[in-house]
Amino acid sequence: MTPCERIEGLLASYVDGELGPDEKALVEAHLAACLECAALAACLKSADAALAAFPDIQPAPALMQKLRAVPAPRRRFRLSFDALLRPSLQPVFAVATILAVGFSLYMASPDKKRIDQAINRQIHLGYSAFEKLTARAGALTDSLGAAADNLFVSLGKINPLGKTDASDR
Amino acid sequence: MELEAIIRDCLDGNEGAWHMLVDLYAKKIFNMAYQFAGSVPEAEDLTQDIFLKLHHALPKYDFGKNFTAWFLTLAKNALIDEYRRTKWEKKQRDEFDDRFYAAASATTGLAADDPERGLAEEETRRILWAGLNALPPDMRLAIILKEIQGKKYEEVADILGLPVGTVKSRINRGRLQLAKILKDRKESAHDAL
Repeated sequence: MTPCERIEGLLASYVDGELGPDEKALVEAHLAACLECAALAACLKSADAALAAFPDIQPAPALMQKLRAVPAPRRRFRLSFDALLRPSLQPVFAVATILAVGFSLYMASPDKKRIDQAINRQIHLGYSAFEKLTARAGALTDSLGAAADNLFVSLGKINPLGKTDASDR
Repeated sequence: MELEAIIRDCLDGNEGAWHMLVDLYAKKIFNMAYQFAGSVPEAEDLTQDIFLKLHHALPKYDFGKNFTAWFLTLAKNALIDEYRRTKWEKKQRDEFDDRFYAAASATTGLAADDPERGLAEEETRRILWAGLNALPPDMRLAIILKEIQGKKYEEVADILGLPVGTVKSRINRGRLQLAKILKDRKESAHDAL
């Protein structure tokens, strides 16, 4: 910590006259020698005086009139209902309504059994298509692995410099 | 009528008592909000919000406690909450309005006697007003309560719900920060001449 930083820490108490004789003498000796800290002390005094002279202003009559109106008591139910009416929830309500209408049509339909069968059929078809796809993917992985192995073997046999190995002779 | 009686009448739904309570505290709360937010329209909205919160919180008031400190704590919480909610991204505070100048000349009366000194004081006030925005909200409120509104350290500590020592060091750091801002601005103005 520099001497200036140490004095800065004491400056507010010095201006308030709260320092003991030793610290006060220390600050005063520093201020006599350091123009920067002396200027800061002067600004601190000036800022204190200016803040203390900040005037209070009168609230506008229109504001006073609004404040004097007794606020309505809180109604919890209304507040929670208001929260449900937020515009951001409108798409959620729209989707929920469509789903509810679709579900009630399905439940009330005379062909409910046929619809159930059709849904089951579609689920099974989808499941078997998925199984076929996985089997094909497995086969494809195997053939790609085999092709890669072949490629490595072929590359191993190529001798670009035409050198013969001792073992070849 | 005593404050306690006014509060009891407010709780009984007496409209006149509510008017008295508003008249007693509106100026204090409005100025606290104005000095904190730096704008008259924002201060008006905040003052309304604080009085609305007071009306709802009044049934919870403990008559054994100091009402002013309790109410100012409620106001402080509302101001800090609003600051954190909106972040008040505005970097500059509004210029002083006419009411401020009228009140300033009425309290100091210096501008008329010594125009040069009056201008210098006005410039200092402007720098400090803008400088308040550079302080963190907790420190700014402590400075407003102690240095501008003239409360004692113990009262500020009571309102902020902090130990006196913490409040004192927070205020001293804030004062020093404002003094540095003032010094820098004065030096740069001097260099520009």
